[in-house]
Amino acid sequence: MTNQTASPARAGQENAPQGGGRSHILVVLADDRHGALDRIVGLLRRRRSNMQTLTIGRSEVPNVIRITVMMDDSEVGVEQLVEQLRKIVDVRRVINLSAEQAVSRELALIKVNSGVSQQPEIIELGHLFGAHPVDMDQETVTFEVTGSIDKVEKLVEQLQPYGVREVARTGCLAMTRGSGNI
Amino acid sequence: MGITTSIAQKQNTAPFAPAGHATESTTQQHTDEMRELAGSHILCEALMREGVDLLFGYPGGTIMPFYDALTSYPSLRHILVRHEQAAAHAADGYARATGKVGVCVATSGPGATNLVTGLATAFMDSTPIVAITGQVARNLIGRDAFQETDIIGVTQPITKHNFLVRNVEDLADTVREAFKLALSGRPGPVLIDIPKDVQFSKTFYRPMDAVKSLEYFRTTRAPELSSASIEQAAKLIATAQRPLIMSGHGIILANAYAELCAFAEKTNIPVITTLLGLSAFPETHPLAIGMPGMHGPAHVNRAIGQADLIVGVGLRFDDRVTGKVSEFAPKADIIHIDIDPSEMHKVKVATVPIVADAREALAALTEAVKPADHATWMNEIRTWEARDAERSTQVKRNQEYPDPISILDAIRAETGGEAIVVTDVGQHQMWTARCYSWTRPNSHITSGGLGTMGFALPAAMGVKMGMPDDSVWAVAGDGGIQMNIQELATLRQQGIAVKVAIMNNGYLGMVRQWQQFFHSGNYSETPITGPDYVKLADAYGLTGMRITRREDVRAAIHTAMHTEGTVIIDFVIEPESNVYPMVPPGASITTMIEETGEESKSHD
Repeated sequence: MTNQTASPARAGQENAPQGGGRSHILVVLADDRHGALDRIVGLLRRRRSNMQTLTIGRSEVPNVIRITVMMDDSEVGVEQLVEQLRKIVDVRRVINLSAEQAVSRELALIKVNSGVSQQPEIIELGHLFGAHPVDMDQETVTFEVTGSIDKVEKLVEQLQPYGVREVARTGCLAMTRGSGNI
Repeated sequence: MGITTSIAQKQNTAPFAPAGHATESTTQQHTDEMRELAGSHILCEALMREGVDLLFGYPGGTIMPFYDALTSYPSLRHILVRHEQAAAHAADGYARATGKVGVCVATSGPGATNLVTGLATAFMDSTPIVAITGQVARNLIGRDAFQETDIIGVTQPITKHNFLVRNVEDLADTVREAFKLALSGRPGPVLIDIPKDVQFSKTFYRPMDAVKSLEYFRTTRAPELSSASIEQAAKLIATAQRPLIMSGHGIILANAYAELCAFAEKTNIPVITTLLGLSAFPETHPLAIGMPGMHGPAHVNRAIGQADLIVGVGLRFDDRVTGKVSEFAPKADIIHIDIDPSEMHKVKVATVPIVADAREALAALTEAVKPADHATWMNEIRTWEARDAERSTQVKRNQEYPDPISILDAIRAETGGEAIVVTDVGQHQMWTARCYSWTRPNSHITSGGLGTMGFALPAAMGVKMGMPDDSVWAVAGDGGIQMNIQELATLRQQGIAVKVAIMNNGYLGMVRQWQQFFHSGNYSETPITGPDYVKLADAYGLTGMRITRREDVRAAIHTAMHTEGTVIIDFVIEPESNVYPMVPPGASITTMIEETGEESKSHD
């Protein structure tokens, strides 16, 4: 709760033109309690957040979960969502990380078609993206890749000609750069 | 109390006692006595600890252990409603009238879901209520048990917070947290869902044990008033030529009547009150100009259109107030005072956002500003007002039927303006908001945000329970009154005296009005009949009257005031009269549909 709410250029719930919008990464730290996750996700849904990825996991504090939401502000101002999230009793902190301040990564598993003869070529391609084969058989190779969202997407694109069977992505995780904590 | 066992105080819990807590004496029990109690009894004890003496509810399977315990606590008065929705509205009415937390109780499944409309109403209008629901036993949760509903899931978007009590050890703390949460910051409803077996389980309970959990500390932390913002606001106020104060429900919730008055008088800024802000500022005050928005008088909306500064206090710029947002107050800077930070910039970007309690902020702002005079601006507004008044006298009106103005004038005259008037939703609500002269603080109670038909009667019951010495009038339409009409039985059984004025036009009038204006007069499903209210009142053991002539209005109100118990007056009003002026939905508030010519029609 602060009076130093930055005055945004537009109101939080104004009808803005659809599409476009700036991308934001929200980090929500919340008590790991019955219904907490429900409340957070439910709020983001009903307040019309345009969510792209949502990642949930433990944090450095016991019983506190860390939720990373990547969204754009095409529908609702991000400041409005941050303030709404702060009202949830289970929520301890909400931080809006801009891309410049943050290191962001995603992990993906990609299962791609590959006959035995194609394997060296595909694995070589994977290496260019820093992807490791974590499983392979007569028909497929499964890669593990971490990196920016763009990088993961690039790799998937490059593998498409071989036939991508399955993609599992974690969504964006983010942390502030440097020694400062959020 | 058969099942309570006093045991020596031996547990060495170190209670963290927040300031002032230890001195609260809310139970008749020794506050340091540790006893082993069933959850149902702990619930009663914990409610008493919060100062509760009144509950509205309805028993059922999973809440039975609580109802069993209840008879051991005679200081907890329970009002048996006839439908759980009424329990929630009554708790809401009680809370709005008294400023205390209203409490309602229901069983699991249908009992709990029947509370939903009431909770949503309280949530939209920021009123503090605590709802207690029974839940199926823990081992049955998630198995589609009889009368099982995930009420936590259902009520999540319409409560400030809700709790499923999973262990009896958590129960006492949960109750305390729920009450703190309901009242803290921007008030709102909180639900506690208690499985039946938790109500049966026993644990040690000591009243003086205070809450240790984090919620408690977070929610009791008040926002700090920023002096920089106050200074900035004062500067804007000093230079404004055409400023307006818009005061909302926050004034009432913060008990900031005197501070609002002092601020307005020092700066001589005209005061607008929103629907939920009505009765926050006396309408007889020379600075009062009226209500804004869809059914506000034209001069108020015109003033907003011309204003160069709006000092909004405790309001959220609802769409019924702003109309088309981009054309709302287009020339004005906005100072927005609200205790809820998420209201800042939500609808309108505030030039100076001030997150604070309305009372504190207004007091600080009054200190910071210099006395000013805005007579020219005020005269301008009054000129518009006079012109509108002049025009409306030229409209030919039916003189036979009881009309809203005569009904409201009579209520006001017969109660000396001291009545608390509770309205339902629709035309009568807008007529009451507009035509009644609100002078007593917090005398206007209505469902504004959610617009809940069926609110008036049960809410009035709650108001009357909270303010037993005051006259309470429920004003409703013939549509809304039928939505919770069953509460007449509750009023009768409990001997609660609410006076009910039905503005009966044989239509769902507001919808009919919209059909007339915006759906080419296609009155789809709006003509509505009702019971013979005189016979109905009689059937419930109450007094009923039907008034069809304007000259009988005053006498009927007088009789109602001098008749014991609940009285229902069925005022047969003009069938197709409209609420004027009206801003078409989605239009700028300066575009108003005004009353013209003769419109009266008679009942067939």
